[in-house]
Amino acid sequence: MVGLVIASHGRLADELVSTAEQIVGKLPAVATCNIEPGAPVEDLRAKMKQAVKAVDEGDGVIIMADLFGGTPCKESLMMCQRMNLEVLAGVNLPMLLKANSLRSEQMALSDMANQLASYGQRNITCASALLREAQQQPRT
Amino acid sequence: MITLVRVDNRLIHGQVVEAWLPHLKVSRVVVADDEAASSPLIRAAMALAVQSAIEVQILPLAQVDFAALSKDGVRTLVLLRDVASVPFAFQAGLAMDQLNLGNVHFGTGRRQVSPSVFLAEGELQALQQLSAQGVRVEARAVPAEKSVDLPDLTERWSKAG
Repeated sequence: MVGLVIASHGRLADELVSTAEQIVGKLPAVATCNIEPGAPVEDLRAKMKQAVKAVDEGDGVIIMADLFGGTPCKESLMMCQRMNLEVLAGVNLPMLLKANSLRSEQMALSDMANQLASYGQRNITCASALLREAQQQPRT
Repeated sequence: MITLVRVDNRLIHGQVVEAWLPHLKVSRVVVADDEAASSPLIRAAMALAVQSAIEVQILPLAQVDFAALSKDGVRTLVLLRDVASVPFAFQAGLAMDQLNLGNVHFGTGRRQVSPSVFLAEGELQALQQLSAQGVRVEARAVPAEKSVDLPDLTERWSKAG
């Protein structure tokens, strides 16, 4: 199974996983790491390495970082030169839920990462506009 | 064809859309609920959450043809808001070998029997009657969770008093 690491500033990563588990139940092979204000980057680097190691079952790891260009994302990118891992930035809840379910399908790690990026984007919607459309063409 | 009957205060919501629908592989979701059916806004918002390949029906409880849903070949998830609706649907011809309790929230006079299920005494009795008629009752919020069956629910209910 592909391992997942959620990396963020503050507690976003922990809470995102806890929210996802509230919706679909316990997530296997998932680790989180975060950088707190004022913590040295070396700490985060060590935590990230540990997190990747904890969830790597031999099928590779996808790291989902909170912000492109932020420290968790940059540190992840430093690691992907040396390991079988892909890095996504701009993690959101739909993306995490999809990552969990996609892992049961056989595909290359890079394909999975690409699919997740577009899925995360597709699931950002102007829900109120969709509702207005739906009310004009009722399904029920 | 009834794939699952679920009692859930929230009807269609995250757990249903993200966990149950992919797990059950149903082609139809039927929400049998007067309140939801009475509001075009609620109907549209709920149906919006379900991918368009899945048929969604949101109807008042008394208007659902449970016998027909049970007989055709379309895999169906039936959602009811509360335990009180279940015997009505069962008598109206809903084929039900299993009843899933998802979210039955806390209220006065209710006792907790699982992380997401709180039952009143009358509801517990109604569930026991259904069980005597061959329905397997379980509390389980999401498919991956361990299900708690009626004997355990009853025991927890007694202990919670």
